[in-house]
Amino acid sequence: MYIKTVGVVGIGTMGQGIAEMLASKGLDVIIIEHTDERLAYGQQMIEVSLDKQIEKWALTKSEKKLIMNRIEPATSYEKLAACELVIETITEDLEQKKAVFEQIDNICGPEVILASNTSTLSLTELASVTKHPDRVIGMHFIYPVFKIDLVEIVRGLKTSEDTFTRTKHFVEEIINKKGVMVFESPGFVTTRLICLFINEALHVLEEGVASAEDIDNAMRIGYSFQHGPFEMCDRFGLDSVLAALDRMFREYGELKYRPSIVLKKMVRAGHLGAKTGVGFFKYDKDGDRI
Amino acid sequence: MKVLVINAGSSSLKYQLYDMRSESVLASGRVERIGMDSSIVTHEPVDKPEVRNVSEILDHVTAVKRVVEMLTHPEYGAISHLNEIEAVGHRVVHGGEVFSSSVLVTQEVKLEIRRLFDLAPLHNPAHMMGITAVESNLPDVPQAVVFDTAFHQTMPNTSYLYPIPTVLYRRHKIRRYGFHGTSHSYVSEQAAEYMKKPLESIKMITCHIGNGASCAAILNGKSFDTSMGMTPLEGLMMGTRSGDIDPAIVPFVMNKEELTLNEVNSMLNKHSGMLAISGISSDMREVTEAMQDGDKNAKLAFDMYTYRVKKYIGSYAAAMNGVDTIVFTAGVGENSVDLRKAICEGISFLGIELDEERNEERRKDAREITTDSSRVKVLVVPTNEELLIARDTYNLVKQAKMS
Repeated sequence: MYIKTVGVVGIGTMGQGIAEMLASKGLDVIIIEHTDERLAYGQQMIEVSLDKQIEKWALTKSEKKLIMNRIEPATSYEKLAACELVIETITEDLEQKKAVFEQIDNICGPEVILASNTSTLSLTELASVTKHPDRVIGMHFIYPVFKIDLVEIVRGLKTSEDTFTRTKHFVEEIINKKGVMVFESPGFVTTRLICLFINEALHVLEEGVASAEDIDNAMRIGYSFQHGPFEMCDRFGLDSVLAALDRMFREYGELKYRPSIVLKKMVRAGHLGAKTGVGFFKYDKDGDRI
Repeated sequence: MKVLVINAGSSSLKYQLYDMRSESVLASGRVERIGMDSSIVTHEPVDKPEVRNVSEILDHVTAVKRVVEMLTHPEYGAISHLNEIEAVGHRVVHGGEVFSSSVLVTQEVKLEIRRLFDLAPLHNPAHMMGITAVESNLPDVPQAVVFDTAFHQTMPNTSYLYPIPTVLYRRHKIRRYGFHGTSHSYVSEQAAEYMKKPLESIKMITCHIGNGASCAAILNGKSFDTSMGMTPLEGLMMGTRSGDIDPAIVPFVMNKEELTLNEVNSMLNKHSGMLAISGISSDMREVTEAMQDGDKNAKLAFDMYTYRVKKYIGSYAAAMNGVDTIVFTAGVGENSVDLRKAICEGISFLGIELDEERNEERRKDAREITTDSSRVKVLVVPTNEELLIARDTYNLVKQAKMS
């Protein structure tokens, strides 16, 4: 079955990036949110991202128009009946995600792949609320989606071989990213390793060993990271990093996953990183560092 | 014999059906938006009204099937049965070093076109899909491929090598290939015919100036040099392509502006050329109009554009130790009176005397735009790449049948 139309449920940071990337690959995309305001905001952010690419000469104005035309906003899940693949990217909350999977399971035909962009939650548990758990799979994209050519393809306990093969084909042939196969485990590969990296950087900061700026420079320049651990954390969103660490701490029960106190304090203060303008560093409304 | 000519792109496919007895077009058309549920087929039979049809066409196989259905349609078709199509000719952008002329499609030829995917990642895979699609729709019809690069395979190594480590040539085949070969070849033959002289006896410079643009130096009837190189980005300034620049600009800009490979590629291919300088458009007509309305940037774009054509003509005249004929062709070259005038006026020392009246004439056939006493003849020759593809295909298939 050809995948031509993809549904994206939830149009937050990851949803925007995924929808934009899919549309630039020539696919038709249906984006779903609760309210028209959130849809409009999501579309506006996609436009901002495309405009930035025009500034960098990566796109032309007419290419931007074509991409935006391929994205259809909707507040009703019924629209997803036209999709061959649906990617859920709502907030990292198990109960909310379960509710979404229950709904789309009823709307989409049994051969439609239902994917979650979750970075820590159990696919097996998400699949348990559906009638066809064999077609549920994880597709974990990495931020910024259009730049990072990697997808963790996560197999739940009941994910079928066919679902995996079709997803891998989609990832590697249609959207031209490298797909790595991961068996379900909290944090998979990428989130588990990178969150520990960030958490350890926070400990180094707490202990007064070096400033955030210097820690970032040391890792960025010393080991060819694009961003250091703190800017990375700002860009992921401090709340997302905290949620991932909390989840892994609970699942593994190991102290190394316990989130740093500084991180908790900043999240409570609403300093969530690039999206709120302030985290470890300051950002303008386009998310560029000031 | 009736020959179908196909130019397959990644999401589009253009076609012409030729009757080779009279070399006339029976029908032409295009399929757009292949891969989507609302693909458009536009079919234009010669003496019947145009037909448009929107349907779901997911791949090239279905696209060719629709084309065949259109061609054999009882109402707006051009032939009564599909077995009237006796050969199919394909345009293929990159023929690498292996193909120096058109060939019939065989297993080895297909393998070779596949090997060239690396050098023409945007074009060759799409052409291959076109070939396979014809195979599955018309399994017994012979197919031929005509390469954009083939005509330039006669270039000497002094023209085609880059002065960079030779290991790169051996490892990756990095060298100059040149493009628009079908057009340069076609118009040079037409020009020789027009002048009633053998092509071998004329030192000729052909200027194919359309959306993309290239010049070719034709010596002894063969391509001696051409302005496009390993990719169509080298050479003349174009609508949105930079043409020749100092290659050190690339890493410099990538560093200063923090650009990725993709971004810098797109900058040079889509955001440069006339569009970048004029700030208005990549279209010569719009830039010329703005210039005539007094727009300074449009004038600068026009002047830079014509200056660079002039430089290439001058260098090719030097390369061949003389020039007898200059030919303008393709969209801009055939239609822009101002462009031809600006180029010819500045190089009168070569022996060009432009006849302004002749230059301003608008006709569809080959014509001369210099005065009768001009030592160097300048011609305008409309290009017709499809016809050349049809001719090559016809000849190859006829030969194969005889032997």
